[in-house]
This record gives sequence, C-alpha cells and structure tokens, in this order.
Amino acid sequence: MFKRWLTASVLALSLSALAQTQIEFWTYYLSPNFDNYIKSTIADFEKENPTIKVRWVDKQDTMERDLTAAVALGKAPDVVNLWQDSTFAAAQNKILTPITQLVNRNVLNQLYYPNVLDMFVMDGQVYGLPWYGWLDQGVMMYNPDLLQKAGVDVRTIRNTDDLLAASARIKQATGAYGWLPPVKDPNGASFLGRFFLEGLPVYDKDGKAAFNSPAHVALLQKYVDAMKSDVIPQELLRKEAFQLSNELYSQGKAAIVVGAPTTLNRVKEANPDLYAKTRIASAPLGKAGIQTGGAMSLVVPRASKNQSAAIRFALFVTNRTNQVKFANVVPIVSTAAGSENDPGLKAKSNDPLEIGKGMNSASGRLINPGFKPPKNTDDIYKNFNDNIEAAFLGRKTAKQALDDAVAFWNANAK
Amino acid sequence: MKRQALTATLIAYAFLAPALVLMGLFTFYPVFYGSYLGFTDYTVADLASGEGPRWVGLKNLQFVLGDPLFQTGILNSLKYLLVVPLLQIASLAVAVLVNQKLPLMAFFRVGYYIPVVTSISLAAVMWEWIFQKEGFLNWSLQLLNLINAEGRFNWLLNEHTALWAIMLVTFWRGFGYYMVLYLAGLQSIPAELEEAATLDGATAWQRFWLIIVPLMRPTLLLCSLLSTIAAIRVLEEIIVFTGGSGGPLNSTYTALLYVYNKSWGNMLNANFGVAGAAGLLIALVGFALSYINFRLTREERGER
Repeated sequence: MFKRWLTASVLALSLSALAQTQIEFWTYYLSPNFDNYIKSTIADFEKENPTIKVRWVDKQDTMERDLTAAVALGKAPDVVNLWQDSTFAAAQNKILTPITQLVNRNVLNQLYYPNVLDMFVMDGQVYGLPWYGWLDQGVMMYNPDLLQKAGVDVRTIRNTDDLLAASARIKQATGAYGWLPPVKDPNGASFLGRFFLEGLPVYDKDGKAAFNSPAHVALLQKYVDAMKSDVIPQELLRKEAFQLSNELYSQGKAAIVVGAPTTLNRVKEANPDLYAKTRIASAPLGKAGIQTGGAMSLVVPRASKNQSAAIRFALFVTNRTNQVKFANVVPIVSTAAGSENDPGLKAKSNDPLEIGKGMNSASGRLINPGFKPPKNTDDIYKNFNDNIEAAFLGRKTAKQALDDAVAFWNANAK
Repeated sequence: MKRQALTATLIAYAFLAPALVLMGLFTFYPVFYGSYLGFTDYTVADLASGEGPRWVGLKNLQFVLGDPLFQTGILNSLKYLLVVPLLQIASLAVAVLVNQKLPLMAFFRVGYYIPVVTSISLAAVMWEWIFQKEGFLNWSLQLLNLINAEGRFNWLLNEHTALWAIMLVTFWRGFGYYMVLYLAGLQSIPAELEEAATLDGATAWQRFWLIIVPLMRPTLLLCSLLSTIAAIRVLEEIIVFTGGSGGPLNSTYTALLYVYNKSWGNMLNANFGVAGAAGLLIALVGFALSYINFRLTREERGER
C-alpha cells in the first residue's frame, strides 16, 4: 500500500515538475536596493501562476553585452529590462519578439499610457512593455534661503526662461548657481530635450533632422551665453547634470534642482539640515508645456523558449497595481493607464519627499520622449554632442554647430 | 643519457602545458580571432541571428583609416606616449634615491606605491578637485604668480590641456609601479661592483652611468615596453575623466576608446568588424613601438 502511494506521489511530483515552466527575468541595477519589492512581486506572480517559476537575475553595467552573449549562445533570458535606446537597438538587431505578436495592440492601449507605449513602437510594432518611467523635469526642489537672499519669489518661476533669469539673479546675489540644466549628458543627446521642451521640433515632416532654424539657434545661444557668464557651470560639459546638481545643491552651492524627487534622498543623507529646509514646487516647463522623460521596458527576446509564460509575467510586473506598489518604494513614474487617479499615489504626509513622490509618480501621462532615436544613435549623438560642446566652448557659433549637426545627422542616420 | 634528456624535456613541457593551453584559449585565440574579424562584416544582428562573419577584405581597415575620429584617436594615443620617457626617468631616479640606506626610506617606498593601489574612481575625485577652476593647481600657479585670477580655467575642460592633465594622472599612478620594478633591479646589482668603483675613484654620476645603467638595461627595456604598451592602450583614465566622450572637443579621444565605443561601449550597437580592424591597427602600432624599443637597447649594447 505504502509502495503504491509512494510511486503515485513520485509520479505526481514528476508530472508537476514537467508541467512547470521556469523563466529567467533580467533586471537592470535593481539589486540590492529593491530586492524586497522584486522578490515579493515574483512571489505574487508565482502564487497566481503555480506552473511558472521565475528565476531573477539583476544585471548591472554588463547588461547589453550579457544579453547579446546569451542570445548568441542560445541561452537567452525570457524577460529583460532595457532602456528605450537599448530596446530600439535590440529590436533593430532582431533580438526581440514584437510584443504585438504576443498581445493584441488594443489590449496594450488600454493597459498603458499611449504616450509611453509609443516610445517602444518601431515599424508599427510594440517591442517593449512600459515599466517604470521618469520625468526629466519632475518637480522643482529649492533652497528657500538662497532664493530669499537673491530676492527671487518662487511663484515667479513659471517656465524655463524664468528659471534662467532666476539663476542669473541667484548667481549674482549669492555666488551659488541657480539651476543646472542638462546640456551634454553622456549616453544621450540632452540638448535635444531643450528643443522640444520649448516646442521646437527635432525632425521635419519628412523625418529629416531640422533643428537648425533661427529659433533653435537662438535657444542654443541663450544657454551658451548663460554658460559664458557662469550662470550655468562649464562643468556641465563634463558631468551629468543630475550628478552635478546633487553635489552642488547638497553643498549649498546650487539653489534649485529640477528633476526626480529621489534627488532628495541624497540631500537627506549629505545635508539633513538643508533637506529639512527644502521646498517643493511644480517643475517649470518650456513653452511647449510638456514634461520630457522616458521609461524602461520589459522585452521578450526572440530566442526565449517560453514566450507565453514570459509575456504573462511581463504583463504582471508592469500592471498598475505593481507599478503603484513600486512607486511607493521609490518615486518612479507609473506608466500604467489610470495611475493619476490611483489612491496609492496620494502623498501621506507633508514631508517634502512625500509630496514630491506623489506629484511625480502620478504624472506618467505627461511623459513625452519628444522624438524617436535614429538607429545608429551612438554615432549621431556623439556628433551632436561634439557640436553642442563646440558651441558652448566658443569654438563654433551656435548656428554653425547646429548646421553641422543637422548635416551629419541627415547624412548618416540609418 | 639521451633518454634522461628526453624525459626532462617532456616533464618541462608538461609543466608548461596548462599555462600554454590557458594562454592559447584566452590570449592567442582572441587576438587572432579579433584580427580576423577586422576583415569581416560582423554586427550584433549577425551574432544574434547565428550568422557568421562575412569576409570583406580591407573594407573595414579602409573605413577606420578614413574615419576622422580614429585619426584623432591614434594621434592622441601617440601624444600620450610622451608620458613614457618622463615616467621612466622619474621612476628610475627615485628608485636610485630610495635605494639608499637612509632613515625613512621604507616610508617613502610605501608612499610612492600608494597611488598604484588607489582605485581610479577615488583618484578621479582628488584629481578633479586639483584640476577645477577653483582647484589646487590654479591656486598654486596663482601663488607662484604664473597666472592671475582671470587666468584660472578648468584643466579638464580646455582642449589644449585636458590630455596633459590626464597624462599627469597616468604618470602619478604608474610612477610607484615602475619605481618598485627599478628598485628590484637595483637591489639585484652586487654591492661589490659599486664599492670597487668607489675605491677606484668613480664619482656617483660615473657609477650611475657606467655601472647601474648598463646592468639595469633588461629592467629598463621591460619597464619602457610595459609603459609604452600601457600608454598606447590607455582607456580607464579617459572614461573616468571624460565620461567616455573623449572631450573636450575630442582632445582626449584615444584609439582604444574608439575600439571600446565600437564594441563594448554599447554592445547592442556594436560593429565587431570595425572594432577588430581598429584593434589590429593599434596592435601594429604597438608592435612597431616595441621593435623600436628593442632596437634602441641593442644599439646601446653595440650589437647592431
């Protein structure tokens, strides 16, 4: 009797093991800070889907090369977290399965904000499910003492022109910088962001680069002049604006930070007194009235052997419930449709970080990536940044720099 | 006797075999395969779809040689070589100094070696502070009346000084390493030779040129080769100080940064054919420089 029972149990176990699918999930720089969130999300998924087991691997700076190597070796992961540019590059290199082959487009349209979903569309196909997003402008955090010393009323800072004007007054009155805009961040083409914030297009109607109109030139010149007069630091040509803003704000050498409220975590650590003083306001936007930003995607490699389990898991991780939960752990911007009304994103106290988090996390419908990157972004962005740098260093006029960048872009974009 | 010799030879090769196999797998094979890729079309799309490299002959080499960015890179790498003689002369001179039996010499030996074991990211924080507009370097120059307040500038943001500033960091980091190698070389020279020369009335300068330098020639060759190769393939410092852009205005864009950006910088946009061709060209420059190093040493020995 016991023998028969044992045989039946072993058989049942073997069958259940056979029926179980194991998928591999790669994230990007989320461990160890978000281990609890990721593990609990996986546990929730496995509870709902007992036949699917998820193996989580967090990749850091080797993500792209590991993904390429894994695909080449036939050991592709099933769900992978990528940047927008990497999603495009992977899709263009035929590494990814179009999500629209796995899920109906109408379903996707209902699940995510259309502006964010569109970031992962190439040749009419969606290649990534939008996961956590961010806003480049986010919120405005400021040091009220420095503003007061410079006689700047925060209510008068309504747009980016006001920000630059306020920065000039702050610099003159206090010696501290006001606002540090991204002008040449590595791994991107930050100044393009300044164009579309002010409603200036990057492409013309034929899809050709066209950011050298007199309005574009005037805008670049305005920032070049700001750097020339030390209203914005020259160091922005070498360091990411986010990093430099953090450093200088915490040292009391910058008065305003525009960006994600997570910045305050660092300020809280580096200068608790300043953190306590810090005030939050809506981010001043450019003439276009848009918030630029981006989102990470979850993609399914073409070489994944468990595509249906993979897409089921990716949909689960990116659903509204899980994105709102994530936004409560770290102020990401939820990309799931309807998040702006989710009670889970309302501020729970008057703490600056709490207020900032709530305002920021519910703003996914405002994310505007501005334009689609060309295929060979590395070469195109390098040339664009070189030209922008030449203008800032006074080696080219603003017009010459933009003319050269447009000419190179149109001759080389694939 | 013959049998004994054969056994000894076989044992020797048996000991060499594991190292040779590992070198073959992880050094020679990648070198030859990378060079082969330089003559092929091979991108990430090919890799992902399982398609192999396609032979294109000299196309990639022509492309790389005609690419202004690579030309800038190779020129900057050649400029970077200027650090080699300075580094060798300075580390040899200091090695001779710290080889003396004087108080505090152990402290100096350790002190000079600290930069070698300091991580580049930590070193970058310090050197950025030194190079910035309000930094230590400008402050010192102002103190010496070499510049005035208006003359201050960020050394890493000026296309005429950025490369030299980064070379100074390389000098600072490499100095202790070569000094230790020279020190080891100096300590292998029998003390009696110097003593005999001293008794014969040789001055310190004569002892240095006529005894130390000839006996140190193998170490000199090794160190100059190592630092030449290190200079031609400098990458870490450039990435840390310029964020990988090779700025300002590509004045610090080196040849190896070109290879890195075409392959590992953003692997999803990688072009292994172009990266392989650029790598091959850099290797050829490295070989040529090594050959010159050997020739110079042979000439000094009078073995033409």
